Amino acid sequence: MTDPVLEFAHVSITAPGADGPRTLVHDCTLQVAPGEVLGLVGESGSGKTMSVRAVAGLLPDGFTVEGAIRIDGQDISELPAKRLRDIRARRLGMVFQTPRAHLNPLRTIGDFMTEALVTVAGESADAAARRAMELLAEVGIPDPERRMRQRPGDLSGGLLQRVMIAATLAMDPPILLADEITTALDVTTQEEVMAVLADLRRTRQLAVLFITHDLALAAAVCDRVAVMQDGRIVETLSASTMRADAREPYTQRLLSAVLPADLLSGQTAAEPILVVDGLQKTFHVRSARGGRREVFVAVDDVGFALAPGGSLGIVGESGSGKSTTARIICGLESADAGTVSVKGEDWTTPARSARGRRQRARIAQMVFQDPYLSLDRRQTVRQCLTEAVAVHRRSASRAELRARVDELLASVRLDPTLADRRPRSLSGGQRQRVAIARALAADPEILVLDEAVSALDVTTQVEILTLLDAIRRDTGVALLMISHDLAAVRRLCDQVVVMRSGRIVEHGPIADVLDDPQAEYTRLLLDSIPREGWVPRRRIPARVSVPDDSTGAASGSSTSAPITALEGDR
Amino acid sequence: MTTGVLRRVLGKLGALLLTLFLASVVIYSAILLTPGDPVVALAGGVRPTPELIAVIKAEHHLDQPVWIQYLYWVGGVLTGDFGTSFVYKTPVVDLIGSRFGITLLLVLYTVLLIVVFGVGSGILAARRRGAAEKAVLVGTSVGVAMPTFVVAILLIFIFGRLLGWFPVFGAGEGLLDNLYHLTLPAISLSVLYIAYVSRITRGAIVAQAHSEHVDTARVRGIPSERIFRNHVFLNASPQILAISGTTIAGLFAVSAIAEQAFGIGGIGSLLTEAAARKDLPVVQILSLLLVALFVVLNAVVDVVIAFIDPDSARSRRTA
Amino acid sequence: MSIGQLAGGRISPVARRVAQRDPLFIAAGVVMAAIVLLAVLGPLLTPYDPNQLYVGPVLSPPSVVHLMGTDDLGRDILSRVLAGGAASVFGPVVVVVLSTVLGSTVAILSAWYGGWVDAVLTRITEVVFAIPGLVLAILAVSMFGKGLIAPVLALSIAYLPVVSRLVRAGARSELGKPYMAALRIQGVGSLAISFRHLLPALLPAILAQSTIGFGYAMLDLAAISFLGLGAQPPTSDWGVMISSGQPSLLNGAPEQSLFPALLVVLTVLSVNILGARVTAWAERADA
Repeated sequence: MTDPVLEFAHVSITAPGADGPRTLVHDCTLQVAPGEVLGLVGESGSGKTMSVRAVAGLLPDGFTVEGAIRIDGQDISELPAKRLRDIRARRLGMVFQTPRAHLNPLRTIGDFMTEALVTVAGESADAAARRAMELLAEVGIPDPERRMRQRPGDLSGGLLQRVMIAATLAMDPPILLADEITTALDVTTQEEVMAVLADLRRTRQLAVLFITHDLALAAAVCDRVAVMQDGRIVETLSASTMRADAREPYTQRLLSAVLPADLLSGQTAAEPILVVDGLQKTFHVRSARGGRREVFVAVDDVGFALAPGGSLGIVGESGSGKSTTARIICGLESADAGTVSVKGEDWTTPARSARGRRQRARIAQMVFQDPYLSLDRRQTVRQCLTEAVAVHRRSASRAELRARVDELLASVRLDPTLADRRPRSLSGGQRQRVAIARALAADPEILVLDEAVSALDVTTQVEILTLLDAIRRDTGVALLMISHDLAAVRRLCDQVVVMRSGRIVEHGPIADVLDDPQAEYTRLLLDSIPREGWVPRRRIPARVSVPDDSTGAASGSSTSAPITALEGDR
Repeated sequence: MTTGVLRRVLGKLGALLLTLFLASVVIYSAILLTPGDPVVALAGGVRPTPELIAVIKAEHHLDQPVWIQYLYWVGGVLTGDFGTSFVYKTPVVDLIGSRFGITLLLVLYTVLLIVVFGVGSGILAARRRGAAEKAVLVGTSVGVAMPTFVVAILLIFIFGRLLGWFPVFGAGEGLLDNLYHLTLPAISLSVLYIAYVSRITRGAIVAQAHSEHVDTARVRGIPSERIFRNHVFLNASPQILAISGTTIAGLFAVSAIAEQAFGIGGIGSLLTEAAARKDLPVVQILSLLLVALFVVLNAVVDVVIAFIDPDSARSRRTA
Repeated sequence: MSIGQLAGGRISPVARRVAQRDPLFIAAGVVMAAIVLLAVLGPLLTPYDPNQLYVGPVLSPPSVVHLMGTDDLGRDILSRVLAGGAASVFGPVVVVVLSTVLGSTVAILSAWYGGWVDAVLTRITEVVFAIPGLVLAILAVSMFGKGLIAPVLALSIAYLPVVSRLVRAGARSELGKPYMAALRIQGVGSLAISFRHLLPALLPAILAQSTIGFGYAMLDLAAISFLGLGAQPPTSDWGVMISSGQPSLLNGAPEQSLFPALLVVLTVLSVNILGARVTAWAERADA
């Protein structure tokens, strides 16, 4: 093995705090060699991001680093500030999770691309511009000349992430720090970005420190994986033999969270409780520039049925219309055409009166993506659940309400001692349990899960999915699960609907669809999921009409931000 | 893209005209809302002679329906006929014309002080840790509690009584003498706004300096002077411009206080005097003028901001 | 489950912790409390009749007999400052209360109904915003005559857009959050949502805005009195005292202007400090 270009030797990082300093990273040792991808994997708060920020010189004020971080064998703490800045500029590249926030919105892509070439490498503006266009082409950005004149607001998330990578390569650095670079992207876009990265690593012998919470992705794209928990590296494994070699219980927990689950079986053939037919929804979006109104078809002729006690997954990427469909069913949006009927009643338009909303509330309830946002942060768990129960049992006595709330807490396996806490002092999983308990307060017959586990850490995801499955078995509630995550849907649902750009592309029993996909798009989605032996592929030329990134809608890359905001999938 | 900018400028212009129209309706309706006979209101609150009643009725078309009266009034304003003051017994346009210049000079002097010292000290406080930052922060905390009239009496006491370096009364003759006389009034007008603009400037710069795209620039080794210019100050400037613009646009109105304190015969003191004498026609025209200045200046600032940040689009609405 | 219970449970411990670490906050609080006391009890504490001429020599400097000296008409300045506190403090209070209540109502209606209701209300507030507060107050004085009532009402309207913009933005962002959708899906009624969830969420920001607004209102009202359009002599409003003391400045007797000016600055300074802390708290509560 060649000498490492980036090395951590017993690095600890300490944050100042009102209650005394806190150590976020303990005694961390790792090496990355040229041409090697080292995954640094852990759940939120495990200290992985602080570790890369220490290399890049981006720790917040007051943070201290002990031990040695070496670039090309040189301890960076021993370098004078100006020299260190120069080394970082020339030897390091860094790509972040949210490209939109990490690009200056007021300056053009051209400014961004050439800035370091001109100010650090001292190239002429013309030479820098030529080089910038080459780099943009290298990362697969079509029409680089036009892109150079645009600002970040004109580009989609996937394209911006490629711009970030291209700009990083401008100085030809041997080390790339990648901090959750695909977390904010759809799976197919993730595959594109990973394919770009794999190419570059091969052609340029890049040493990549790849930070992710996604163990499956790490296993698929990394050579070695360091697993981090509570600021400590618990073990470092070879990616190809990880499953066999894992010794630490924490790693095994992470691994079990990504294993495909047993398929559920047993279809119910009763009269459907929910029938959606010919649903259509169009948004009029005023584009950020120009002020011209654009029409955006969010949902286009969507129809399906859900059996009582059944479970149906709606799968798709951002902009596919899956969330809008769920919101129409729950009366948060009104449809332009088509019908929603629940137990034979017409639910196409939202209920106007509070009484009508209460009646529907007893039949259909919803669990949202981010439990911290879907709970009122000023209410305690008990206040929140009491309110939800009291809406439907107006004459209930204090004692009855209390008893029902305790029952709900038990049904989601939540420790009753947490009842007086506010969402702020609960973990992500506990918050989502509260949100589920609230949804169950009205004894609904349909539970709509809108990306209900995608904001959670992987081990928590498994717990919540298991809980939902148990609730379904116990209460016979039908589940309508909206998700971008095929594995999660597979775990919970009997039936699946695959959506793209507002339309249904495939529909059927889960095993049939996922094991023998008929639609090309379903195959693409399945191929994009990182797994053992996965080779990410670049498909740009082949799929011009397919939304290529997180904001992409029908019109592809020219569509801009407001649509994402409306769709709200992510 | 250029059509987009054009469309937005036209949209802004439309909104601006609508606001001006509605504001003129509000200001005109003052005649109707004033308790008692409109003739009395227009004559300065006293019962005029029968001859004067006839003159006032004719000039303001009081025998016509209200909306016709309004149209005559607005039509007059647009064609430069500002009506007659029955208190001063002169055309309003003459009253304003002879006083506008000195107020304009005072406002420009004040704007200069606000921009130089407000933005300057804000940048200083944002970039220098330690004593300079502390000094600016303490100074501006006190400054935002120092209204024009308080600064004015302090300056009059210090310079008029103790030091005698600057005149404390009147506006002087000739441009240089004007400027000499307007120094203390301009300082007294500017102190509060310097402090305010300084705090906004510092806040905007500090917020931008902590933004994620600045992290990117730092990792890329961009020299810090360039990061400040191109990524921090540039991005903070829309907010600084917006606040300074609104502040400056309002100066024509608040200059009345400095004019009163230092005995300057500008439009501010005319407004005060006219209000004290209940000279409604003069107050109405001056109000409309001040509103128009305020709205137009704000709109100009919006256009400047749109050049820096084309995507700011509909985020700010002033007109 | 009342608003008080929901919001009140959180304020006190936070406020207590802030106070322990923040002596400036305590100082500002003490000054504010003293000023409010002065405004309420001041008229009872005056050593002399505030409007009695020649209770002492003309323009005497501070002394044991006249702690703040006497003015150009031989009136006791301390007595006048104490007697004038009520008008100088309660005027701004009325402005803040009226503009906050009206502005918040307009803003919440705007955010809740959206559509044309929002468009009309927003346009109205934009027009009011275009008329500077001082101009509106002066217009009101020329209509209704000098005195504090017309300027107070005019400023209440002039401050409305600032409040309603802030609250409307807050309400829109709050209504857009998933928990609001969750409440609707549960079938919780509109009134319950507004009073139990929306209003408590907006309260910290509204409180912060009112605190800062009080400072502005005090400055504006004092300025109007200084211009001779607000409170009328011989009333001992602070703005009037500052203005009527102006000629004595050149005679080397600044006390008549200086003491009320000092009180105005001190009040506004304390209010700003309190406002900054309330704003910081509001932002924390929002996080």
